[in-house]
Amino acid sequence: MIRASHAERSPSVRRRLMVTVYISVLFLWLLTGWLSYTRAQQEAEELMDGHLAQVAHLLLAVVQDNEQNIAPLAERLASVRGSPDNVYEPALDFQIGVADGTLLARSRDAPRLPILGAAGYSDILRGEEAWRLLNLSSDDGRYRVQVSQAIGLRDRAALEVAGQTVLPLALVLPALLLFIYVSIRRGLRPLDTLAQAVSARSPDNLEPLVDVAVPAEVRPLVAELNTLFGRVAQVLESERRFTADAAHELRTPLAALKVQAQVAMLSSQAPMRQKALQQILGGVDRADRLVEQLLRLARLDPQRRLEHADPVELAPMIREVVALAATGHATADDAVQLDLPAEGCTVRGDAELLGIAVRNLVDNALRYAGKQGLVRLVVEPNEDRFDLWVYDSGPGVPDAELAGLGQRFFRGRDQLEEGSGLGLAIVQRIVELHGARLLLANRPEGGFQAGIVGLPS
Amino acid sequence: MKILLVEDDELLGDGIRAGLMLASFAVDWVRRGDLALAALADHDYHACVLDLGLPGKDGITVLQQLRRSGNPLPVLVLTARGQREDKVRGLDSGADDYMTKPFELEELMARLRALLRRSSGMASPVIRHGDIELDPASRRVRRAGEEVSLSGREYAVLLDFLTHPQHIRSRSQLEDSLYAWGEGAGSNTVEVYIHHLRKKLGPGIIVTQRGRGYRLGEPRT
Repeated sequence: MIRASHAERSPSVRRRLMVTVYISVLFLWLLTGWLSYTRAQQEAEELMDGHLAQVAHLLLAVVQDNEQNIAPLAERLASVRGSPDNVYEPALDFQIGVADGTLLARSRDAPRLPILGAAGYSDILRGEEAWRLLNLSSDDGRYRVQVSQAIGLRDRAALEVAGQTVLPLALVLPALLLFIYVSIRRGLRPLDTLAQAVSARSPDNLEPLVDVAVPAEVRPLVAELNTLFGRVAQVLESERRFTADAAHELRTPLAALKVQAQVAMLSSQAPMRQKALQQILGGVDRADRLVEQLLRLARLDPQRRLEHADPVELAPMIREVVALAATGHATADDAVQLDLPAEGCTVRGDAELLGIAVRNLVDNALRYAGKQGLVRLVVEPNEDRFDLWVYDSGPGVPDAELAGLGQRFFRGRDQLEEGSGLGLAIVQRIVELHGARLLLANRPEGGFQAGIVGLPS
Repeated sequence: MKILLVEDDELLGDGIRAGLMLASFAVDWVRRGDLALAALADHDYHACVLDLGLPGKDGITVLQQLRRSGNPLPVLVLTARGQREDKVRGLDSGADDYMTKPFELEELMARLRALLRRSSGMASPVIRHGDIELDPASRRVRRAGEEVSLSGREYAVLLDFLTHPQHIRSRSQLEDSLYAWGEGAGSNTVEVYIHHLRKKLGPGIIVTQRGRGYRLGEPRT
């Protein structure tokens, strides 16, 4: 079951859509979150650096005018602590000194670092603690100030800021995922409805789907389904007709056999009984031929192309078939005139099937040409292919019935000749399998012609 | 009793004709619908066995044309497709009965006898004329309870008179009813059969109407 495994390998559209959308949404969400987070962290760092700078400038300004009172001022300044609970008010530590590095004042927790370093920001690791420092000197160069913040505290604040930025995103995520899920389900619901409409059908309901509301994208599928339904219905109908026709065609010979057998039983006279028994034998032969033809058609029908295509030498095959056909008809031995190419003609095909096709055409021609009639069989090359024509001098076929020839069980309105109406249908199938065409026509000069045109060489 | 058989299948037609002839029917057999209409126009039949699928003109058309011409001939239709619509179409087109192929020959004959009995307006399957009794089913004839042995043709002549009790039948009418096409009637064969019937069933059974033909005699008790 190739189809089943193929179906198993291709997951449902819904599942595929959901997985794809979820993965891309999550990826984009993570990227956005990470970018917002890092951006927020950077902004927080810059804000706090700005804060450091402001404090440094403020301290320098205070020192400049109050050198004498610097010690008690430093004490007071150092006691100004941030609120320990509020990460946005981190403790500020500082050292104030003069140009040669002598300290004038310092806050209690400030790291003991030389204040002579280059002006500007720097990160210092001292023991277990990391510090963010800003060194500044006054405009006249007499005083220096060093402001410091513990990096741990700064990071906490930055994290808090970044976290607060990302939090709404995180809250929105489940809603987003739910929204996607519902949208996809709703969007694909028409497919479910369609599937239900199709699966709820009984096998014999091959009416087109009309009452199913489908989106524009699915409409071509529904149209294709409807076309398929139509074709299947046609095939079923022709099969049904074929079965009915076959039953009808078998019933008549069976009825005849039965009646003849009853005549044989009822009759008290030997000649009459003898004749009825003879008729029964003939009838059994006829029914046998009919069954054989039906089986042949049944075997040919499912084939899409030939099972065996071998080179077939037409000339000897035709001679053999024609000789056989002529013995079956009460005609002169030379009733069939052959006109075959001298250089020989080899076609690709199934010798047995081609023989059956030629036999049926020759049989028909002999039967309708009548006792005094003439039949001519011509093979002529046609580009790289061969055409085979069978001409007869019979009455031809009424124009109205030409189209029906080749259909199964078709028999002419005025037809009394024994026949099942399957012969030409079989020829038609064989010709199709060989990639050729069957042409049937009345000849303008009288008589009938049947041609197998375009046998591959 | 003369039957027109319309059946295109050679083997089946031949069998039905042989069977009907065994039952002392005279059978004309045609294989085309148009020929059936021609035969019906030219000859008198007691009944018709009609196949529906025919070359020339199909059975339904034959039936419709026959009824349109006002011919009340009993018609038994044979269909190969035992489908309801075919039967309904056949009966609605004017058939009196139908049978589906394949069928029993004896049933076909029984149905034909029933059709003939109904068309002649007789209620009882056994025809009585005085002390003479004729049973079409068994083709037995009794006179005063005694079985009388008749040949097929003698039986056919007697049946013809018994089903037309008021009619004067000319010799050519009797011959037409006795013989199918191609069965040569000798110059005085009808007289011979009537002579035999008078010998076996009593001289008064058939009365000669000089110059006009024969008719059934008065019933004797």
